[in-house]
This record gives sequence, structure tokens and C-alpha cells, in this order.
Amino acid sequence: MVTTPDRGSIAAALVYGASVLLVVGSAPAWCVALGLGGCAWRILTASGRIARPKPFRGLRFLLGAITAILVFAVAASFRTLNGLAAGTALLVVMGALKVLEARSRRDDAIVVAVGLFLLLAAALGGQALWRAVLYLFVICGACAAFALIAHPGSALTARAALRLSVRALAMSIPLALACFMFFPRISGQFWTLQQGGMATTGLTDEMSPGSISELATEYDPAFRVRFVGEPPRRAALYWRGPVLNEFDGFTWRRAGPWVYRAAPLDMLGDPVRYRVTLEPTNQRWMFALDTVATSPRRGVFMSHDRQLTAAEPITSVVSYDAVSHLETRSTGPMTGLGRDYETRLPEDRNPRTLALAREMRARAGSDAAYVRAVLDWFRSNGLEYTLEPGTTSIDSVDTTLFDSKRGFCGHFASAYATMMRAAGVPARIVTGYLGGEWNPVGGYYIVRQSEAHAWTEVWLDGQGWTRVDPTAVVAPERLQRGVYDMLANSLPATSTYLHNTGWLNRITLLWDGLNQWWQERVVEFNLRAQFDLLRELGIDSPGWEHLGWAFALGMVLWIAWVALTLRRGVARVKPDRIGRAWLRATRKLAKVAPARTASEGPLDYAQRIAAARPDLAAPVQALAVQYARLRFGPAANAADVTSLEREVRRLAV
Amino acid sequence: MSATAQTAAGNLSMRLRRRVAAWAKRRQGEDRLPFAVSSRRVYILPTRGGVAFAGLLLVMLLAGLNYSNSMAMLITFLLAGFGLIAMHLCHRNLVGTVVRAVGTVDAFAGEHARLFVTLENAADSTRIGLECSTDDSELVLVDVRPDATARADIAIALPRRGRFPIERIRLSTAFPFGLFRAWTWVHVPLSVIGWPVPRGRREPPPEATTGGQALSVVRSGDEEWAGLREFRDGDSPRQVAWATYARGRGLMVKTYESPAAHHRIFDFAHLPGTDVEQRLEQMSAWIVAAHARGERYGVRIDGRELPPDSGNEHRARCLKGLALHGSGESW
Repeated sequence: MVTTPDRGSIAAALVYGASVLLVVGSAPAWCVALGLGGCAWRILTASGRIARPKPFRGLRFLLGAITAILVFAVAASFRTLNGLAAGTALLVVMGALKVLEARSRRDDAIVVAVGLFLLLAAALGGQALWRAVLYLFVICGACAAFALIAHPGSALTARAALRLSVRALAMSIPLALACFMFFPRISGQFWTLQQGGMATTGLTDEMSPGSISELATEYDPAFRVRFVGEPPRRAALYWRGPVLNEFDGFTWRRAGPWVYRAAPLDMLGDPVRYRVTLEPTNQRWMFALDTVATSPRRGVFMSHDRQLTAAEPITSVVSYDAVSHLETRSTGPMTGLGRDYETRLPEDRNPRTLALAREMRARAGSDAAYVRAVLDWFRSNGLEYTLEPGTTSIDSVDTTLFDSKRGFCGHFASAYATMMRAAGVPARIVTGYLGGEWNPVGGYYIVRQSEAHAWTEVWLDGQGWTRVDPTAVVAPERLQRGVYDMLANSLPATSTYLHNTGWLNRITLLWDGLNQWWQERVVEFNLRAQFDLLRELGIDSPGWEHLGWAFALGMVLWIAWVALTLRRGVARVKPDRIGRAWLRATRKLAKVAPARTASEGPLDYAQRIAAARPDLAAPVQALAVQYARLRFGPAANAADVTSLEREVRRLAV
Repeated sequence: MSATAQTAAGNLSMRLRRRVAAWAKRRQGEDRLPFAVSSRRVYILPTRGGVAFAGLLLVMLLAGLNYSNSMAMLITFLLAGFGLIAMHLCHRNLVGTVVRAVGTVDAFAGEHARLFVTLENAADSTRIGLECSTDDSELVLVDVRPDATARADIAIALPRRGRFPIERIRLSTAFPFGLFRAWTWVHVPLSVIGWPVPRGRREPPPEATTGGQALSVVRSGDEEWAGLREFRDGDSPRQVAWATYARGRGLMVKTYESPAAHHRIFDFAHLPGTDVEQRLEQMSAWIVAAHARGERYGVRIDGRELPPDSGNEHRARCLKGLALHGSGESW
């Protein structure tokens, strides 16, 4: 038996399959495999390549049992059914079952609806620009599938269905934009779902020799920064991240919840204002330019060492406005507890460093002189800045300073802080990022993982915590250039190629700019942004009612536009050539006698004309006969029609 | 109890439907063919699928609002706009369709009569998925290409003998996405006739012979030219002798005469038996048999006589006479 391919079913299965692909990563692999398998099966059966088994008794029971097992499997693998990831997995599984058992047009429509729900789940999970493009494809497919399902076996081709859908969607874009801008939003949630787990990226609260250099080989952006006004010079772009103050001779760590009272801080110079758009890290650190004045938003904790910590791990892109000062001063003294804490060092590690430090401190007269002396020592002692410093020992600082004499920023910061602490100068490690790539397209800085950096802060009485970056004396050009320009040979070839090939880099920056625009203008558009927009439109104290009016106005304009665009031809029976010729004749004769009524035949009409104007009787009668013969007689040929038209033209009243 | 309630609800919906139908007819009046469907008489409502689609959008909107998720909002608004465009497209697919002609073909009771609706598309794109139906028929789907016509062939069940008026024809479409259905009512005086079922084993009455005298305007083979006669209402313009008219001799129709032949007369009054239906069925059976053999036959019933003739039209006329027996209708 030859079955014609059921285009509606195939389209529905394709839409479902595509939306399953969109949630790859948030749904478990077995769910995705099940979904794609169901999709393939449906396509093969609907196109007649595989005969589908006849429904048998107990099929419903079997499907019910399978459903129960699969729901249980999802619940077991997530330990809950409440949650975006669990809900998505459940949708995928249910969709697969529906695809398998689909038989009617209604079933196919339900499959498409499941696809749209999966699309919603995907949208809740990720809003990046490239995803938006994929979502748009799936939406077009879903709309075309609706058309194909609704018209089986008609003249509607798949291509025409797709074209119709694209056209309808394109026409709805203005409405979508108007709704997007003016549809009243709410702030806050009325229902929360648990977010699924994700991998941890970026800086952590630990630093061992080599951990920063690992990060430096990654090209991914960590965050983007748009400055309000003139951005500071590049060498001042120290982005503060986790501050580490506990050292075991090898690894620096962040102390627990332990806090000592920090000396009051005076902010000097002009404030620098900027907005950070942070990529998700699944960690709680937030980054700000040294030194941030206040916590940028509620729920973000600023600790005594000016480190920002969010309440929850950051699992989606977040943006925050911050204010920083590039210069600070603390005139107050440091507490004994703080001094004690910030100078702790394991006595039995790095003996050579400790000895050198104590000797140099004795030679230098003051802490400030000692700080400079050690920097000079770093500069003049032949240290090499490299991503591959080689193996290290348990006395990692000794290895860096005396044996290998090679290191990355983390090694030098660790060595410097150790020397400070050994001489009783309070010191700590600050990890973060240095610099950033200017994106001329979007007018903002991209700070990549490759800019990861570590530096030290030392306490000087009367001055407070002061940044000292030993890397800046070992490799001064690091302040002006990124790692990708300096150490290209040690970095992955693909990223280096991407970075150093002019046109490719421009495209990358363009794409990044587009994404940033999307993130700032679309993804983060909220009630506040709506009110800002209304203010720009000239409403001084915008409220919900203004949103409502703007929304209604947009709606009306759009509907009017659509109605005008989609109006098709004039809804009237169009006369053909014969009819048009006869109409012309009657119009000419309208002066002679009252117009022909709808029920009056051509011959009766001719007689009436003849009675009114005997001189016209012969030509009009001939015309009427000719017309009646062409209209009602055997099929007229083109020559006859032309002759009728000629006669009408000749008719003189 | 529940059965009563169900019947009551059924009655209510039936009464409502009748009221709506009467309202639509009052509003639109009788239609004169051909006419183009104007937008004033097109009604539109979401289909069940359209309502489900709206529900889906509502869920999406709530999710988007709840999570302040711009992407979900954008998708929702895009699909909402799409839904409204779908409504316009659906409406537009019907508006401007020209109902060119309607016609019926009668059939035996228990079978299906046919209703033909010829639709014309003057627009420059194909009208896909136009649905034709009557109050109690299935939907018949047609696609009409640009500047072309298409004919919907609707089967109408004939439960018994007699005339069944077709109150109205419903012209609808769910194009393009099945989210909305637009429809309009076409009110044309139309009915189909259920002929008596051909049943019965009586012998037909014997043949008689007459001279050829049946005049026919249709030339179907062995007929001979029989001259002109005056044009009468109901004559086809195709039979008019235009050449004669052009010579100023008035409107004449060409007629043809069959050669002399045998024929039978089926007389209802002479048929024995008391059951009217059975007798009608017997007559019907005779007509069917005579027609199948290509014989000439006539029918006498209700004081009227159809003179002997043959052919499909004659057969239909005879069967119609039987079908309308007792209805008090003149035919």
C-alpha cells in the first residue's frame, strides 16, 4: 500500500524535534535521546517509510504504564518535579509519548504545542542573541506546521505554508515590539522554580601557583563594562574579585566568615560610574573597579576588604551599576587583630624567602621604604613573566624567586605578599582582572578570562591598603596590553588566531557588540526601563496608566495598519471583456433612455432603445444580438469578442 | 435526570441555532447569484485550536511576567500578533470569493442528493481550504486557483421520499492556520428531492405505438429537424436561433422530432394496491427499468401526464413527479 506523506505530522514532529534540541543541556541526555527517537519514528511512519503497527488491545494500558515509568524516572533523576530542569525533562518525555501515539490532526497540533512549551522552557533558560535566532526558526516552523496540519491534502505546499508563516510573523513584529515596550510589567515573582545546576567558571576563592595561568588561556568573556562618561586609562582597570588572605605556603585562600573591623576609608578623586554585565559563573563573586564605594544593589554584600558577594550563585547574566574611586586613603590605624591576621605566615615554608625578607626589612628604614626595596629587587633580579613557569615545589615562593625565576602574575603576587608578611607588613592577595578589550562597535570593555590577574595590597600606616602589583615591574607592558598580545605562543592556537586576525576580530567584536546591545536593551528590559522610556517620550512622572495608553495606542495603530495591508482587491464580481464592452455600450446609451435594470435582458433593452430613438434601432439591435450570442450562446472566440468591442466603439449616440 | 437535562440543553442549543439562522437571514436577505462575499456578512470566531493557542499564550505571558524574562515576553507577543494576523488572513480568504452558481442533483431516497456550489476566485492568489456545507452535511473542501472556478460537491442525505429544502449553504474557511474559522451563509431558494426507491416486482404495462410527435429542443442522436417554435421561459439560450432573430423574426427556438417509436405509459391510478409508498416504489422501479433499456415511457399521476419520452432529463422529471405525490405541490 502506498501512503502519501502526511506533511502536517512530519512538520509537527520536526518542530518538536527542533525544540528538543533547544533544551539540550538542561534536559538529561536520555530524555533528549527519547525525544529525538520519537521524532524520527514519527517522520518515518508519516512519510510511509516504515509501516506503523496497528493499534492493539491494551495499547492504552501499555502507554499509561510507560508514562508512569518515565515520570518516575524524571522525578528520580531530579529528586523533584518542581523546577525548570525537571519540568523541561518531563515535557520532553511527554512530548515523545504524544509523538509516538499521535494519530489525528488534533494530536499533531498538541505535539506542536508541546514544542512551543519547550521553546518557553528554553527561553527561560537562556536569552542570548544566537538563541533568539534559533527560537525564531522554531516559531516559524511551528506556525507553518499549524497551517499544514489544518489543511491536509490541499493545494497548500510546505513552502507556501512557511512563506505565509514568515509573512504573518513579520507583520506581527511591530505589535510585538510595541507590546514589549509598553505592556505593563510587574517587578518580582509570584511563583519560583528551582534553577538547575551548572558548571563553575572563572576565579575561585583559592589561588595556587598556576591557577591563574590556567584561566588566562580561556578566551571567554568574564564580564563587560560600559562606563558613564570617559573611561579611566587602561592601566588603572584593576577589576577586584576575591580577596585572599590565608596562606599555607602554597595556596592562598579566602578566610571564612571572619571579619575584623576595617579602618574608615576616604574616597579621593572623582567617582567613576559604570555598568557591569556579568556572565554567569555559578559563584557568588561580583566584580567592580578598584575601589567600589558602596554595594551596587540590595542583596549584594560588601565585605571589609571591599569585595562584593552576591547572596546566591550567579547562574544567569546579571547587570549592576557601580560607583568606584581610583584613589583611596585610610588615615585610621589598623586594629591589632587585623594586623595580626594579615601578617600570618607558615614559619616552616619558604625559608629562603623569609630570610631574605627579614634581612631586607632590617636594611630598609620604614615599611614604605621596604615596599619599594622589594619591588626594586623584583625588577632587577631577572624574573621572567611566562604562562609556563615549569614545575614548582611545596616551597612555591622559594622556587619562583630563587630556582626557576619564572612565573605568572599569581606567582609574583604570592611571592611579594609572602615577603611583606615575613617582615611584618600586612599584605593580602587580590584576584580579579586587569584591563579589557575595547569594543569600538558597542563602546564598552570586554573583560575576558584571559585578563585574569592577581596583585597584592599592603597596609601602610597613614595611607591604608595600597595596591602593589609586582607583575607591573617584572613585565611593565602587561599594564598596556592583554595576555593575548604578550604571550601568544603559549595560548591555544584557535583563540590566538581569532584575536590576532584583524577582520575576524572585528567580526567577533561586532557580534559581541550586538549581543551586548541585546542584553542591555532587550533581555534586561524591565518596569524601570519602561518608565525610563516613557520619560524619554516626554512624560514627567510616568505611571502604569501611561503604559496602558501607550500600549492601547500601539495596538490600534497596528490593527489599522494590518487591516489596510491585508485588504484584498475590491470584493465585487469583475466583468469579463464581453461584459465590459456591453457595459460601455449601455453607458453610452444612458443619455437616450433610462438605464438598463438588473432584470432587463439585452434584447428587451434594445427594443426599449429602438422605441425611444428609432434611428438607433438597427445598430443597437445588432449589438444586443451580438452580445446575447456571445454571452449565452456557444463558447465565444476571441475574434468575435474583438468585433463586439469594435462595434461598441463605433456606436455613436 | 441527566438525560432530561441533556435533551433540554440540546433543545436550547437547537433553538438558539434556529434563532441565529433566522437573524442572519433577516440581516442578509435572499441572495441573487452570482455575488461576491462582502466583509459585512462574514462572521469569524476562534476554533477550538485557536482557544487552546490563546491559553498557551496566556501561560507564556504569565511565565514571562513572573520571571521578568524578556525572551518569553517577546515570543508571547510575537505569537499573539501572529494570532491576530491569522484572524485577518482567515477573514480575507473568504471575503471576495464569488459564489458563481449552485445546482442540485436529486437522488433516490436513502441515497445522497448532490449540491454543487461553484466558487470563483478573482484575487491573484489561490484561496485554499474553502469549506462548503449545509446545516446537516459534512464539510467539503475546495481550493480555488486565481481567476478560476472550482466546484464543491456536497452530499445531502435523503432519509425518505419528498422535497428537502436547503435552508442555507455555509461557506467557511479555517485557512491558513486553523486558529480561526470565518464563515458566511448563502441563502438561495434550493431544495433536493428524494425519489421513491425503485422496488417492486410487478410486470410493467404493455407497450403502445404512436407516431413520432414528441418535440424536443435537445438533439441527442436520431432526432430530426422539426422547425422553429416561439421562445418560452425556461428555454436555454443555447437553443435560440440567433440568425433568425437577427433577421428580425423574433426569438425562436430550434426543435427536433424523434421518429415513431413504441412507448409505455405508467399510470399511478391503474396500479393496484392500497399502500401509496409501495405503489410509488413500483412506478419508480418501472421507470428505472425502462430507462435502462432505453425505452420511451410516460407517466400519469395526480391528474397530470408526462408524455412519452426518453433520456436522463425525462427520467428525472418523472421521478420528481412521483416524489412529490401527496405533497400538494405543483410540479
